[in-house]
Amino acid sequence: MRELLDALERPVELLVAHGPEETPLPGARDIDFGAETERVVEEIASLSDKVSYRVEIEPAGAERYPAVLVLPEGEDVGIRYDGLPWGYELSSLLGAVLEAGRRTSSLSAESLERLARLDRDLAIDVFVTPT
Amino acid sequence: MLLAYRTALASPRIRATAIEATEFPALADSLDVWAVPRIVVNGVPQWDGSVPERVFLDRILAPAFE
Repeated sequence: MRELLDALERPVELLVAHGPEETPLPGARDIDFGAETERVVEEIASLSDKVSYRVEIEPAGAERYPAVLVLPEGEDVGIRYDGLPWGYELSSLLGAVLEAGRRTSSLSAESLERLARLDRDLAIDVFVTPT
Repeated sequence: MLLAYRTALASPRIRATAIEATEFPALADSLDVWAVPRIVVNGVPQWDGSVPERVFLDRILAPAFE
């Protein structure tokens, strides 16, 4: 993972958003989701100089907490992970970092052409579970 | 999930969010999430499961979202 992160073509900043959290499920109430999220993100950032992180309370652009905003070169391009990225879902966050670190899209030329013609806003939410 | 992130990177018009379903149960319930990944576009549940890039674009760019 360290090698993949070191190979990023541009720096990626991770913004950990803290705020009022939803009541966790019974049995999970001992977990401090916000603190755990910060710990995970800190660990990812420690792997490479290309990845940094900061922490904010209810930053613009966050809807649920905790959340991680993935910012290529510090810019908010609309990439988020809402919740604690653990288990299998850690790979979603790492994947987001690797994609954000690319200077050229990994989508096909045809897809990019279609997206360039998009004339309305789309909010794509993907519900995931860690197992 | 990565496809959604890639489209967000490619278009300033797209925002892509992964939502940990078990951590936000009220929201997941309201959108009838019982299988993952469940894809919701502009607040409307669309489909469950991973699809190829071309199909993903076909679906998110469908006229229904105009």
